Amino acid sequence: MVQDLIFATLETLYMTLVSALFAILLGIPLGIALYMLSKSEKKSSKTLYSVLDWVVNIFRSIPFIILIILIIPLTRLLTGTIIGSTAAIVPLSIAAIPFMARLAENSFNNLSQGLWDTAVSMGMTNWQFISKVLLPETAPEMVANITLLIINLITYTAIAGAVGAGGLGAMAINYGYQRFRMDVLIYDVIILVLLTQVIQFAGTKISNSLRK
Amino acid sequence: MLEIKDLNLIYEDNYHVLKDINFKVEDGEIVGIIGLSGAGKTSLLRTLNLLQVPTSGKILLDGVDLTSLEKEELRKIRKKISIVFQHFNLLSSRTVFQNVALPLEIEGLLKKEIEDKVNKMLESMNLIPRKDAYPSQLSGGEKQRTAIARALISNPDIILFDEPTSSLDPKTTQKILDLILEINQSTKKSILIVTHEMDVIKKICDKVVYLKNGYVDFMGPVHEFFIEKETELNDEFYQEINIDWNSIWQMVKDKNQKLLKIVFWGSKTHEPVLYDVAKKYDVSVNILYGKIEHLKENPYGTMIVAIRSENSHVEKFLQELSKNVYKVEVLN
Ligand SMILES: Nc1ncnc2c1ncn2[C@@H]1O[C@H](COP(=O)(O)OP(=O)(O)OP(=O)(O)O)[C@@H](O)[C@H]1O
Ligand SMILES: [Mg+2]
Repeated sequence: MVQDLIFATLETLYMTLVSALFAILLGIPLGIALYMLSKSEKKSSKTLYSVLDWVVNIFRSIPFIILIILIIPLTRLLTGTIIGSTAAIVPLSIAAIPFMARLAENSFNNLSQGLWDTAVSMGMTNWQFISKVLLPETAPEMVANITLLIINLITYTAIAGAVGAGGLGAMAINYGYQRFRMDVLIYDVIILVLLTQVIQFAGTKISNSLRK
Repeated sequence: MLEIKDLNLIYEDNYHVLKDINFKVEDGEIVGIIGLSGAGKTSLLRTLNLLQVPTSGKILLDGVDLTSLEKEELRKIRKKISIVFQHFNLLSSRTVFQNVALPLEIEGLLKKEIEDKVNKMLESMNLIPRKDAYPSQLSGGEKQRTAIARALISNPDIILFDEPTSSLDPKTTQKILDLILEINQSTKKSILIVTHEMDVIKKICDKVVYLKNGYVDFMGPVHEFFIEKETELNDEFYQEINIDWNSIWQMVKDKNQKLLKIVFWGSKTHEPVLYDVAKKYDVSVNILYGKIEHLKENPYGTMIVAIRSENSHVEKFLQELSKNVYKVEVLN
């Protein structure tokens, strides 16, 4: 049983971290795109913004359990299966990318108009603005966003566990729900709580250390 | 030279904030834009480098109309206009050194070159001891000096200041004004300052643009501004001429005297002109009010005097006095 718990923990971490990685690599650029489009004066940019905004909202409004089922064809296409942790990474990422994009966009929007004005009046290009102002100035908040993302993903992996993803969620269902093994359920929950606490603690530490 | 022609700005909510604005900033000049809160000063400043696109009008920098430029050309020409913002807008993630280095990084200068230039600039701004501090660790005056250093480092043609002293205490204000004046004198750069403080205009400006409800109400040399607009400025900006007009009117009426307002400006302010002329024509002068202050390097004085009018030389006295002072006005 201990072995099972360790294995399940590793599976949860694997699903969480890999999909978090995808969310960061794709969601933050999407957030940047949303922010830059919203700032642009061009009409085409405004249209593109509305479209992206709408797509992000759609994905954010589908309950995760339904999303898993909806994208089964995609999951099978990408991973060759719909069972197991690797397959679960597909719906997890697809849920996490728009979430991350929205968190990032919100942080960017909190940046003062003054910094935007400063960048424009210095004659920065868009890339210079993103790399020298936007990302460094929001770094502490972005770390907090990523922390929130990871913690949310842990919860999502538990939901995915209900439909064959493995990990701590699946274990809780297999032992606790189907076999009434309360002890396993309790250990399971303790591990989840600990994971969340450790991640939150580390996230807050890093975020604060970036705040100048 | 920066020239503003027939500038109008109407915000999206149909609020017409800038109305037919015309003025020039000649090379090497310090021009002050003064106006009460809400007059449109910040709006005007933001349109000057097209942070805010004007509804109509031209903004000419050395003859080039900014409003006609393509995006890429505009981006380049903006580097010639530096802005020191009201709230400094320093990057919190960067040290003083890195903040000042930013415009040079954008230019793509080599690291060594950037280091030399920034260090020199920090040296002249007295910021070397604070170069590794972050903005959150700086005092208001230090933040302002960092912002000024950042604006200067790219060697712009003109520097725009938005309320450079409004968040500083009087002593720091004086230092920053001295600094701005010194920059103007040593680099001959044109400077445009937006302010609601009369002192800023008095101490460092050559020319003033008085913005009132979105119109340019006055534009010209500072001393003319104070003479022409005195009464209005007294009301709106609490410039003090503290005299009890009622009792004075009564007195000149009773004694049959003439009441004069004499304005001095320039080098003659410190000469005993009034005394000399009065003595020459044997006119007795009773001083009721007087003050002298400085407009940049020139003294500027106002005096209110009563003279005895039965004297037959009064007309000649007035004529000669008028020639020797900036302006004589007979009030009754
Ligand atoms: N983006 C905007 N949209 C609509 N109205 C605006 C906008 N920005 C400013 N205004 C309005 O324009 C007027 C002038 O504002 P502005 O900030 O230019 O004044 P100001 O002279 O700088 O005042 P202060 O001394 O208080 O800074 C104000 O009534 C303000 O509410
Ligand atoms: Mg303002």
